[in-house]
Amino acid sequence: MDFDINEVLSDMLKAVKLSVEDSWDETKVVANQFFERRKERLELIAELRITGKMSQEDFESRMEDEKLVGEAELHAIAVISKAMAQKAINAAIEVLSKAVKAAIIAI
Amino acid sequence: MKKILDINYRRTLISIFTLCCLLSINSCKVTFIPDYDETIANQIESTTKQIDLFYLTMLETTSAENNGRSYNLFTEQYIEIEVELNSLLNKNKIRPLNENSTKICENALKLWQKYKKAHKEKNTIGDDDIVLNSKYMSSMLYSMQIAENVKPE
Repeated sequence: MDFDINEVLSDMLKAVKLSVEDSWDETKVVANQFFERRKERLELIAELRITGKMSQEDFESRMEDEKLVGEAELHAIAVISKAMAQKAINAAIEVLSKAVKAAIIAI
Repeated sequence: MKKILDINYRRTLISIFTLCCLLSINSCKVTFIPDYDETIANQIESTTKQIDLFYLTMLETTSAENNGRSYNLFTEQYIEIEVELNSLLNKNKIRPLNENSTKICENALKLWQKYKKAHKEKNTIGDDDIVLNSKYMSSMLYSMQIAENVKPE
């Protein structure tokens, strides 16, 4: 029977690594974009508060907005992580499935 | 002869059993999130544009002087956008495994209603608030778009 479990496991690991690498790059890009947007907002808020154009009450209200947006961003990153895990696990399953299929055909 | 038949019978049984295992492996796919929905992605994009247009028009074509930014001048657009955000929330809510996108929609709606209420209570809005509201809503919708676009097709 042409089925080497070590080779299959190694191929499964390669498939997982490849999926995770692709998705990890995407996660970094998105996280940076979130960071840049936050920086822009906070710079403007700080400037308005320091120059007295924004009251303390409004400043606190904006911090509440910041929490809501921050929470939304974390949910978006959670979706990216789930997509990454799903892709990686399914890639590994596909490798195993193909290896088993090839071994059966060889019998 | 009987022995050969017996071996063939056993091999057939093993093959059938292995085939069943293989079929179950083939159909085994893990799912943590729903599939990408083009209709929802398009709606997020159009709502993003609608909000952007709303705030840019308000900023560029109106002024707080002489009640130029009274709430009643913008009521209809506030409602139209809220309807879109509500629709996005409902569409996301009914999809299984979609808690994250649903939560993003809930936050977007909460923020929109807060801005609408503040405008209604003050019956005006300053340039800085328009800019900030626009930035917050844009970031919220961007998170929503990302959460949809990364879903598998």
